[in-house]
Amino acid sequence: MSLIVKRVIPQLIVSIILIVMIVFYFFYVNKSVAGVFSAWDKALSDWAIIIMAFALMVGGADIFRYHLIQIRKAGMKQAPFSIVTILLELVMIAFALIGFYISYINPESGISITTQPQFAWLYTNVYAPSDTAVYSILLFYIASASYRAFTAKNPTAALLLAVAVIVMLGNTSLGGLIWPGMLSLRDWIMTVPNTAAFRPITMGAGFGAITLGLRLLIWREVSWLGRRE
Amino acid sequence: MRITKDIFILITIILSIILISIVAWVSKIQLYNPTRPLSSFIVLLFLLIAGYLSIHRVKMGGTFSVRDIAAFNAIEEGIARSVEMGRPIHMTIGYGSISSSMAPQYIAGLGILSHVARMAGKYGAKLITTLGVPEVIASVEELVREGYASAGKPELFDPVYNVRYLTDQQFAYASAVQATIVRENVGANIVVGPFYAESLIFMEAGNMVGAFQVAGTARETQIPFFVLVADYSFIGEEIFAAGAMASGDKESLAAIRGQDAGKLLSIALILLGILMLITGYSLTDLLNWVWKFG
Repeated sequence: MSLIVKRVIPQLIVSIILIVMIVFYFFYVNKSVAGVFSAWDKALSDWAIIIMAFALMVGGADIFRYHLIQIRKAGMKQAPFSIVTILLELVMIAFALIGFYISYINPESGISITTQPQFAWLYTNVYAPSDTAVYSILLFYIASASYRAFTAKNPTAALLLAVAVIVMLGNTSLGGLIWPGMLSLRDWIMTVPNTAAFRPITMGAGFGAITLGLRLLIWREVSWLGRRE
Repeated sequence: MRITKDIFILITIILSIILISIVAWVSKIQLYNPTRPLSSFIVLLFLLIAGYLSIHRVKMGGTFSVRDIAAFNAIEEGIARSVEMGRPIHMTIGYGSISSSMAPQYIAGLGILSHVARMAGKYGAKLITTLGVPEVIASVEELVREGYASAGKPELFDPVYNVRYLTDQQFAYASAVQATIVRENVGANIVVGPFYAESLIFMEAGNMVGAFQVAGTARETQIPFFVLVADYSFIGEEIFAAGAMASGDKESLAAIRGQDAGKLLSIALILLGILMLITGYSLTDLLNWVWKFG
């Protein structure tokens, strides 16, 4: 029974979905059949959204559990961070529930979970700036990674350095001042050698995904289910 | 007997598709979607059949060599190194919606995670798996649990320590992964799956703590970051091949021949396209042909 639940049923679902998606994508027959395909395709997308919504609840509970244990076990070094995380999670849930309650009893108010004033304020004024701040750190990481990588220690690295300098200068007005052809050279590098290098990688990834699909279809790919029985 | 049956089923499927197509063509039925080129369906079938026949050949006792993927072999080295230094291993399998086109990369990431978990069990290493997608929490817990159990060390599995779901928000996830790498002072940082702008944040955090880094993705815009910063990297399709290698199953590995058939077909089509352009024809027009009546 355990083997059927843990192996056979998930693999069967995956195989059926794979075949059904190929049929929905490539076949038509007539307008009414195409309409049915489209409706089922949408239903599958809706199921994915529903599964994701429930998975998010599991995720929320997982975060709560992890940080409660951290407060108990990890001591004062970690506790402040975990306390803040738990408090903010509870506060956001509370405001979301208020928004849901208002939208339920008074739909005309225009207030929903995401537009509940306190929820929206916290999202816009606490989460969004923090999110942007972390994104901006990327600038410094690109600089430090480039500093380490762009050293002419061998001919290939020297070529990388030369190309990087051209592309970087080509992206600034300084490049055009130094040499007017810098912008055209940058465009040529980006559209010809760069695209030529990327296309095979993209195609290879596509072939890899199809082969993975084949392994899933014929039940040869089981690593995602855990150890082989 | 079973092998003959497999080939019989395959031939029956191909013949049925051809027969149905002929009947539909004669009866003037719009069988295929008029917005999709029929060539894409034929190429898909070709790849599936090529992969399946390779598997069949291995079933019949055939063998073929598969080149080593340096990044795959490096995973064991990284784990052993971490154990020697008494530091944990960190792995993350990507960010984004699992129901999108990134799903194959998640599956590949899970395959590599199962290999990492088995290696962690073998060497008695502490594995920290951080997640940005809630849908895979249960699968990942199962993989890590079975990784330790397969090495005879189920007592090393602690779901709270080993599997940490962080958030589904991109930079909150990036920030939390970065913090985990630095605070836990990881010895190996294994990052395989679909990644976006956060890829370099993970790599630089690993670099800060001097971690041995193995990274891979099939998202071509992030590959340069991994190649530049990681000690070893999976480039594009290698993450899918690594999943088959991780399974240790020769028949799964044989399916990679389907990828090679796809590459050969692409090269042939590129050469044909060049020849046709020289002679004044366009291969693209031919490949974009759609099944259309009326």
